Amino acid sequence: MTLSDILEQAKWTFSTRRVDRTRVAATDTDFATARPGDLILAHVDRIGQHRRVQLPSGRPSLIFPGDAVVMACGARYAPDQFEGLAEIDPAGADLLAGGGCIGRMVARNSQIRSATRLVPAARLLDAAGRTVNLADFALPPRPSAPRPPVIGVLGTAMNSGKTLATAQLVLGLRRAGFRVGAIKATGTGAFGDYNEYCDSGAHYVGDFTDAGMVTTYLEPLDRIKTATGTLLAEAGHRGCDLVVMEVADGVLQRETAGLIGDTWFKQLVSGLVFACGDAVAAIGGVAHLAGLGLVPDALTGMISCSPMASHEARVATGLPVLTKEDLSDPAEATGFALRAGLGRKEAA
Amino acid sequence: MKDTVMDCNAVFPDRITACSAAGRLTARLLRPAWQADAPPLVVLHGISRNAGTLARLFAPEAERTGRTIIVPHFPEQTWPNFQRPSKAARPDQALLALLDKIAADIPGVSGPVDIFGHSGGAQLAHRLAMLYPHRVAELHLVAAGWYCLPDETMRYPYGLAPGKDMASAKWARRKRAALRDFLHLPTSVYVGTQDVTRDAALRKLRALDAKQGPHRHARARTYVKVLNAAARAAGLPARARLIEMPDCDHDVVRAITQNDLATRVLDARASGISTSSRTITQIQGDPT
Repeated sequence: MTLSDILEQAKWTFSTRRVDRTRVAATDTDFATARPGDLILAHVDRIGQHRRVQLPSGRPSLIFPGDAVVMACGARYAPDQFEGLAEIDPAGADLLAGGGCIGRMVARNSQIRSATRLVPAARLLDAAGRTVNLADFALPPRPSAPRPPVIGVLGTAMNSGKTLATAQLVLGLRRAGFRVGAIKATGTGAFGDYNEYCDSGAHYVGDFTDAGMVTTYLEPLDRIKTATGTLLAEAGHRGCDLVVMEVADGVLQRETAGLIGDTWFKQLVSGLVFACGDAVAAIGGVAHLAGLGLVPDALTGMISCSPMASHEARVATGLPVLTKEDLSDPAEATGFALRAGLGRKEAA
Repeated sequence: MKDTVMDCNAVFPDRITACSAAGRLTARLLRPAWQADAPPLVVLHGISRNAGTLARLFAPEAERTGRTIIVPHFPEQTWPNFQRPSKAARPDQALLALLDKIAADIPGVSGPVDIFGHSGGAQLAHRLAMLYPHRVAELHLVAAGWYCLPDETMRYPYGLAPGKDMASAKWARRKRAALRDFLHLPTSVYVGTQDVTRDAALRKLRALDAKQGPHRHARARTYVKVLNAAARAAGLPARARLIEMPDCDHDVVRAITQNDLATRVLDARASGISTSSRTITQIQGDPT
């Protein structure tokens, strides 16, 4: 079987969605020098936590021992699952994320299974012998594109309700008549959030993978800021009036903390939603953000499921607690757009 | 008070229906043979739900001015409540969906719209504009029974002070968030000088009477005064005008057929609101 046959039959994962597969002309096995974003062909060895990989089509695919899969070398930070590094051991590697992230697991949440094990087969190269890397297929910079205003969505932790809040706010803004972009600034490439944004009717959807990274974990802050700028410029180029931008994980996570602690972020966002699970988390999160000079416009997330917890948080912080129904309500969402400057121009 | 009943069997072939989370809404669409460079006008009926009559009365104006006119109909059966967005009904969402559908289906009919509303339609129109000022270019309010004043000393739904329950606090907050943009809107408030009857349809509460006046005429005057005061307090020009229609009561058909109301509304954009009418007198800014 030729390389071309193997690659054609392999399951290319969601994180490779921008890759021009015709660029692959050769392979090597120099895994020791693999960098984040390099494309790796591997075979499934033993099924663990991930029983499926995510395809570029947006469909999950079951995987079976022996299956060939193309992924990107990358790290992962997911407190509910794994911490992993962008390292490929020729003897065996880990499927760190079903979106297509291969690396070495270094920590695991005790409530989940071990990572699905992979046997690396090849690193993909182009005709010039250079490694094929996600960065080669990143969106082009658009320096002259307008930068739409940004509403940031932060949270206390993974699974605090950020993605739902982002998608529902996109829906509400769309219903109010705005063309809305949905962007995920940090995290690890996967189609779950991406699809949820699309389903909400976002005019443009992008994540860090569109800017050339399979994950933002352990990436330099400047690279993440540049990538975010690229995504925002693309949203502006596509005609978005404004962008709802989710920043993954909790406010204490390495990259998230770096981003939101940077004056760049404070200047970037015109509005802020904070997702949390209970009133104490709300108080702590709001206080933490205040220390960074950030004031949320509203609280949301799991807390909003409980009227009692919402009441506690509202009294303690003075902020409204919005349910998913509130966020998707155009009457509520309009306030975010108007505060972001999308209302009537002054004077005239 | 009932509106004059007219034969409205004229056929308006262009009807458009939009679906939304709030329910289904159909509108008559008056498309003139030529298109002026001006926003569409949405015409909202009152509790008599006389969309057919209004469409017939506004049809000549569409042809004369080249303006697309959209006349939604909220049927009793599916929209028992339509005068204001609330937990009971979301006519605002249905109207937004309708405007989006029209914008998607008809080239050149997009962007903010002018809105005309009579009685309960005026109630809906000004509340819609308070929530979505970015979707509205000009407001033409005819004899609403009462108003949501931009006044934080009066509880929602009569003013913008948070009400006793969570829902009214939420609505008041939403309207406060959009208030500055709303105050930018050119708003014409029309009322008959004889619209002074405390009929069965008029909301009658002691606090409402005290704050807004005992009848529609007085309440329209109060509304313009409070709207302009709020604009000035926000450092904005006062853009609300009261237009009194002499000898006119609450009947919108008579206001259109005898007081040229439809013509005045359509001409307001092109020429500013005229003060030369035989049948309509206008008070600029605050009523005295």
